[in-house]
Amino acid sequence: MILDEAWGLSPSVALRPEPFGALAYHFGNRKLTFLKRPEMVAVVRCLGEHQDVRSALVAAGVPEAQHEAYADALTGLARTDLIRPRVNGAEELNR
Amino acid sequence: MPPSSEPTTDTPLAEQDVVSAEDLIEEVSIDGMCGVY
Repeated sequence: MILDEAWGLSPSVALRPEPFGALAYHFGNRKLTFLKRPEMVAVVRCLGEHQDVRSALVAAGVPEAQHEAYADALTGLARTDLIRPRVNGAEELNR
Repeated sequence: MPPSSEPTTDTPLAEQDVVSAEDLIEEVSIDGMCGVY
């Protein structure tokens, strides 16, 4: 379950703030993703600062009832390599 | 909008907001758009 895992923003990703949230662009695979809520942007930005996804959600003020939805969204970001799992507390190096 | 006669809770609006992953992210493919001005 991604909620209990440590993840972080991929170093190949740039976030561009927008009124609705942010645009996330991956320079490696050219994937463009809309982060449609400011809370989602806050979670993605602070992922690497917390020991697990759940802690990042709590820190971003996401209600617990929405954690599953955010976990699903983060799983989608993981599929396109916008976020990567962190190993031993350090962000995984470029593959 | 007329006031509701049904009992309401004190739960903050944010917690009542039911969201799905589709409400949070949307993937867009820009492949093939090179040269488009």
